[in-house]
Amino acid sequence: MALAQLERTAPAPEPDPPARARRGRPRVLPYLLIAPTVLGMAYLLIYPLIRNLVVSFQKFGIAQLIRGGADFVGFDNYRAIFTDDKFWSVVGRTFAFTAINVVLIMVLSTLVALLIDALGKWMRFLLMGGLVLAWAIPVLAATTVFQWLFQSQLGVVNWVLVKLGFTQYDGYAWFADGTSTFAIIVIMIVWQSVPFAALTLYAAITTVPKEIYESASMDGAGPVRMFGLITFPILRPMFGLILCLEVIWVFKSFVQIWVISQGGPGDATLTLPVYAYQIAQSLNRYDLGAAISMVTVLLLTVVLLAYFRQLFKEEGEL
Amino acid sequence: MKFRSLAVAAVAALSLTALAACGSSGDKNDASSGPKTIDVWLMKGSVSDDFLKRFTDDFAAKHTDVKLNVQIQEWNGIGPKIIGALASKDAPDVIEVGNTQVAQYSASGGVRDLTDKKADLQGDDWIEGLAGPGNYEGKQFGIPYYAANRVVVYRKDLFAAAGITTPPKTREEWLAATAKLNTGGNQGIYLPGQNFYVLSGFIWDEGGDLAVKDGENWKGALSSPEALKGMDFYKQIQALGKGPKDSDEAKPTQTDVFAQGKVAQMIAVPGAAELIVQANPALKDKLGFFPIPGKTADKPGAVFTGGSDLIVPEASDAPDAAYTFIKELAGEKWQVDLAKSMKYVPNRKALASQVTGDEGTSAMAAGAANGKATPNSPNWAAVEAKNPIKEYQTKVLTGGDPAAAAQAADAIITEALNSGK
Repeated sequence: MALAQLERTAPAPEPDPPARARRGRPRVLPYLLIAPTVLGMAYLLIYPLIRNLVVSFQKFGIAQLIRGGADFVGFDNYRAIFTDDKFWSVVGRTFAFTAINVVLIMVLSTLVALLIDALGKWMRFLLMGGLVLAWAIPVLAATTVFQWLFQSQLGVVNWVLVKLGFTQYDGYAWFADGTSTFAIIVIMIVWQSVPFAALTLYAAITTVPKEIYESASMDGAGPVRMFGLITFPILRPMFGLILCLEVIWVFKSFVQIWVISQGGPGDATLTLPVYAYQIAQSLNRYDLGAAISMVTVLLLTVVLLAYFRQLFKEEGEL
Repeated sequence: MKFRSLAVAAVAALSLTALAACGSSGDKNDASSGPKTIDVWLMKGSVSDDFLKRFTDDFAAKHTDVKLNVQIQEWNGIGPKIIGALASKDAPDVIEVGNTQVAQYSASGGVRDLTDKKADLQGDDWIEGLAGPGNYEGKQFGIPYYAANRVVVYRKDLFAAAGITTPPKTREEWLAATAKLNTGGNQGIYLPGQNFYVLSGFIWDEGGDLAVKDGENWKGALSSPEALKGMDFYKQIQALGKGPKDSDEAKPTQTDVFAQGKVAQMIAVPGAAELIVQANPALKDKLGFFPIPGKTADKPGAVFTGGSDLIVPEASDAPDAAYTFIKELAGEKWQVDLAKSMKYVPNRKALASQVTGDEGTSAMAAGAANGKATPNSPNWAAVEAKNPIKEYQTKVLTGGDPAAAAQAADAIITEALNSGK
C-alpha cells in the first residue's frame, strides 16, 4: 500500500492517462474513502464478535468480569446449552415466532402494496403518508404505546371492550397469559414491519410495464391470475429480498419482547436473543449467554447466505 | 453507481463522527494538586433535594479537600449498571446498593473490604438487617446506610366515615375493615398484584419462606403449604381494591394513584406519605399509619427489612476521600437528620430513640420488631432481576392454579440461586 502510494505521488510522466485506469493498476483513493467504514465496522462488529467467541469458550461470570483472569473450558458452555431442553424449546419457539410474523408481514404488505397501486392520487398519498409515519416511530416508543394500549386498568383496549359490552374485560390482564402476550407482540412486530415491505413492493410494482396487464386483461385474466402470472414472477427477486430482510429483522427482534414481557410469562415469549440476554444479564453467566448468541449468529448467517445469493443473482440480472 | 458512491461517502462520514465521539471523554482527578473530586451514586428516593443540599453544603464547609459529585440513579436496571461500574477503570467512589443486592457485589471481588473501619463507625451497634447482608465471608464490604420497612398508610377521614375507630390489629379485622371501605367508588386498599415484598411478609407470617437452604444448595419454597397460605391471603386482600394484577407498585406509581383521593389504604414505607402530600396537598393531615396486621393481635405482621448499604469499589482512585464521605453520611448527625426527614430507620440501634414521636416511624418501628430479609445469597439479586415471584403472583391472581404456578416459580428460583456453583 505504502509503496503503491509512493509510486503514485512521484511525478512520473504519464504517456496516456485515460488508458492507465483501464489497465486496472491499484488506485488508492477508493480504498481511502472506504477505510473509515471498514475500520468502524471492524471495531464495532468484528471485534465484539471475536470477543464473544472467546468468552463462549471460557468460564466467565461476574467475578471474571471484574477481576479478569477467565479460564478456558473448551466446549463446556456449548455442551451445557445443547443438553438443556429449555434451549431447544427456545430454538423451536424462535423459528415458529419468525415464521408466523414473516408470513403475516409478506401477505399483508403485498396486499397493501397492491392497494396503493390501485388507489386514486389522494387516497394513495394518504395511505403512503400513514405508512411512512408508522415506520418512522422509534421502536421503543411504539412498543411503549402498545404496552399502554393493553394496560389492564388504564388501557384503551379494555376500555373499548367494556364500552362495547364485554364486561369480562374490566381490568383484564393481557400480559398475564402466554398466548395473548405472544399474540400482542406478533401484532406489534407485524405493524412495525409492514410499512417498509409494502412501500418497497409498491415501488417495485410500478416498474412492471402497464401494457402487459392490458394485454392480459384483454385475454380475460382476472386480478388473481394477473398477480400470479405477471406481477409475482417479474418481481420474484424483490419478494425474495424482502423475505430475507424480514426474516433477519424478526429473528433478532429483542427490544419489543424485552420491554413488553422480558420473555414471560413463563417462557411464552422467550426467543433466542432474549434468552441470551436473560442468561447473561440476570444470571450473570456471560459465558453461557455468549455461547447462545454465537449459536444465534450461526443460525442467522445461514439466512444471510441466502440473502447474499439473492443479491448477487439480482446484480447479475441488472 | 452514482448512488452507491454517494452512500459510501455518507457511511464514511457517519463512521468518522462516531469514532470522533468515542475519542472524547471527561477528565477526572488530577491526582496531585487541588481538592479530590469523588463521584457518589445514590439511589432515587434515598435522599430528598433539601436533605442533599443541607448535607453537601455542610460537607463542603468541613472538608475543603474533597469535592462531592452526587448522582441520583434509578432502581430500574441498576444491577448491570453497577456491575459495569465495578468492572471499569473509572468507577464511582461510593455507591449506594440495596441490601438484597449487596452480597452479589461483595462476592464479585470488585468491592473494597472495609472491615477495619467497623470500630470507627461503631459497627457493633449496626442494625442486623443492613450489617448482615453487607458482610460476606466474615468481611464487611457494605456499610449500613438506612433501613425502612413497609407499613399501612391510610386515610383517617375515610376510616372515620366508615365508622372504623381503631386501626385493625389482626388479619380478620383488617379484611373486614377493608371490605367496609371498598364501596362507593373508593378502593378499600390499593395493592398492585406484583408487590412481592408484601407477599414475602404474608409468607413469613405463615412460617414459610421464599427459598430454603438444603445443605449447600438453595431450593425455591413458594410451593410449600405455608407459602401457599400466604399467597392465598394476598389474593383475598388484593381483591378489595382495584390494584392492577399484572404490575408492581412502580407502574403506575402507587403514591400517585393514592393521591387521586379514591384509595383508603396502601402498603408502603412511611416516607411515601410525603410524596402523596406533594402530589395532592389536600391530603395533608389526613394520612395515618399502622403496622401491617399479623395473624394475632399481639404480634404485627412480618415485614421485609428494606434498606441500603454503601460500598467503595476497588477501582476507586480516592478511597480515603470516599471513606470521609461515608463517615459523615453514616455518622450520628446525618443519620438522625436523614431518619427524621425521610422517615427512615437509622443505621444504629442507639439512634432509634432520637427519632421517636412521629406516627409513621413509630408504626414502622413496631413492624420492624418482626423484620426479615430475603435469602442471603450472592445470587439473590439474580432472582430479583428475573423475578419469577411477580409472575407467580399475577398467575394466581388471574385465576391460575397456585400450586402449579408456585412450582414453576420455584424451579426458576432454584436455578438462579444455584447458578455458577
